Amino acid sequence: MGKDTLEIAINGIKLILIFLMMVQAVPILVWLERRGSAFIQNRFGPNRVGPLGLVQLLADAVKFITKEDFAPDKAVRSLFYAAPVFALIPATLAYAAIPMSTPIAVAAFEAFGSTWGPYLFRVQGYEIGVGVVFILGVSSLAAYTILMAGWGSGSKFSLLGALRASAQVISYELALGLSIVGVIMMYGTFNLTEMVQLQEGPLSFTAFGYTVASTVDWIPNWGIFYQPIGFILFFSAAFAESNRLPFDLAEGEAELVAGFHTEYGGFKMLMFFIGEYGHMMIAAGLATTFFFGGYGIPGITVAELQAAIVGWGFSEQGASYMSALIHFLSYNVKFGLFLWIFIHVRWTLPRFRYDQLMDLGWKTMLPWALANTIVTAVVIYVATA
Amino acid sequence: MTADAFLFWFLAFITVMGASLVILMKNPVYSALSLVFTMCGVAALFVTLDAFFIAGVQIIVYAGAVMVLFVMVLMLFDLKHEVEAFSKGRVSGAVKIVTAGLLAGLVAGAILYSTTTSSPTLAKEMVTASEDPSKQLGMRLFTQHIFAFEALGILLLVIAVGAVALARSKGGTHHGQR
Amino acid sequence: MTSAASSMPIGGIIFLTIFIAIFGTFLIFLARAIGGQRKDNSQAKRDIYECGIPEEVKKETKVSIKFYLTAILFILFDIEIIFMYPWAISFREFIATGMGTPVLISMAVFIGIFIYGLWWEVKSRALEWD
Repeated sequence: MGKDTLEIAINGIKLILIFLMMVQAVPILVWLERRGSAFIQNRFGPNRVGPLGLVQLLADAVKFITKEDFAPDKAVRSLFYAAPVFALIPATLAYAAIPMSTPIAVAAFEAFGSTWGPYLFRVQGYEIGVGVVFILGVSSLAAYTILMAGWGSGSKFSLLGALRASAQVISYELALGLSIVGVIMMYGTFNLTEMVQLQEGPLSFTAFGYTVASTVDWIPNWGIFYQPIGFILFFSAAFAESNRLPFDLAEGEAELVAGFHTEYGGFKMLMFFIGEYGHMMIAAGLATTFFFGGYGIPGITVAELQAAIVGWGFSEQGASYMSALIHFLSYNVKFGLFLWIFIHVRWTLPRFRYDQLMDLGWKTMLPWALANTIVTAVVIYVATA
Repeated sequence: MTADAFLFWFLAFITVMGASLVILMKNPVYSALSLVFTMCGVAALFVTLDAFFIAGVQIIVYAGAVMVLFVMVLMLFDLKHEVEAFSKGRVSGAVKIVTAGLLAGLVAGAILYSTTTSSPTLAKEMVTASEDPSKQLGMRLFTQHIFAFEALGILLLVIAVGAVALARSKGGTHHGQR
Repeated sequence: MTSAASSMPIGGIIFLTIFIAIFGTFLIFLARAIGGQRKDNSQAKRDIYECGIPEEVKKETKVSIKFYLTAILFILFDIEIIFMYPWAISFREFIATGMGTPVLISMAVFIGIFIYGLWWEVKSRALEWD
């Protein structure tokens, strides 16, 4: 995790901060979702507790934590309690691998009688060479949360809900995994930071030996222009992966009650919520990274921005901090936009029937993802060979 | 002890712990979940060997796909009869002793083999590789092992056909259905 | 060769996993401590949910074979997709080294088998949910 004690400590704190940031984002998203859905449905939503109902989140948290904690007699208690804790792990592990800003360079300095640094702190939990594979692998472990909760509850509604949810999650994992083959082919790397760096600058690519560059320099070199179908497939599959409407077949008032978390309440329920929103965040973060230039800002490259900041009178060190901050904001604008799309879609589309859901996954999205892969391969081959 | 050695022994310990739990747990569901844990431990051990892609595949395929099926099946059938079949009395002690002996012999043999016949040339080649290991894997797979790769495609197709055929075969408890 | 513990994210991953496990367990205990136990501990409360009628649980529910079939087919197709990843990452390198054509053809054969498999599954109604 680091060369010396300071670096290890800072990296450890960074990981904890990322986790807390994810946990903190959930109440804000819940507030946004409730206000947003109220806006869409011409209601008020929570507006009594604090300005704009913002303190509602705090009130909810207090309500959740003061609920009595109990397990039904039929539940398998170890799994019943382990499932909500486990729900947090895959989501956080995967999210921590997404780069959120430019690295912060800290020059060497003297303190406590020895020289420290120089350091390079990345604004992401850990940089992984095979980031894409890691995130796919870790988030596929989320199926166990569902199965553990469903079986551990000892209720047949939970079990059937878990069965349905896990079958859905694994079906859409295929379309999800296949939709990014084209992306990987295009960038030629699994590393998310490298992918972001490759999307820097104005739109330009080499085809048939000619370099095609856009005349307008604010059109960025983003993946969406090369992989539009890949993006649509990826984003739709991500909805199903995070069990969000229109794919929330894991729940069904009429036939399954609340699906795999029928028996849960209070804080344990909230932890499942955090897991679900965590998957939304992973999907939003990955869509930003793969298709929308990650933390990059259209019209200006990282080096240009840093030079501009130095021009404003900052030191090299300060420019590194400022650049990290600005790019972090840029990342969060895109990230927030995708999260809003998640919320907006949930409140505007009706849900599917289970057979329609499976048909869409296996018979529509999988063939389209395959076609996308083939077309991408052929285009790359013809254009560069 | 260096950090590397500590990491290895830590991961090896928890992996072997998980593997022992697989056979020590009475409930097959817990055994399967321990096996998932073991798979993740093995993936972490792959990472310490610089085999990042293989580690990712280990998690995606074994922990994320194969074991999901196992856990799903075990949770849906309450395997009371099967649990009884493997508890006292049904399976004779001799079978257990022979199986345990075979396993111990296998482990001992593997350790002996790995200490006596190490291949320094192969290890050296892997260490000095400066390229992205995932890319190297791709290059190797599609130049040297291309036939095995295509054969795998056929094999997977045959398995898919077999699975469908088994699922549709008549018999079992569901008489009268198509 | 760099040291595994310092350059690799594995330490961070293990640290984060352990931290979340401890944090989550702590939260559960905290909620238990603050929430307390109510006096009412009747059987009706400790029953599992059953739409208001007395509970009736049969764990050996007969479940459609479709779920298993879906899971098995998922494993197979997942492996095929995983094999496309090393191909995708080194495809540009293959083209650069003049190996593009044979690699593209070999992958086309593989994808052809994939498509045939998928087509066969659809045609044999194995993916039909009714």
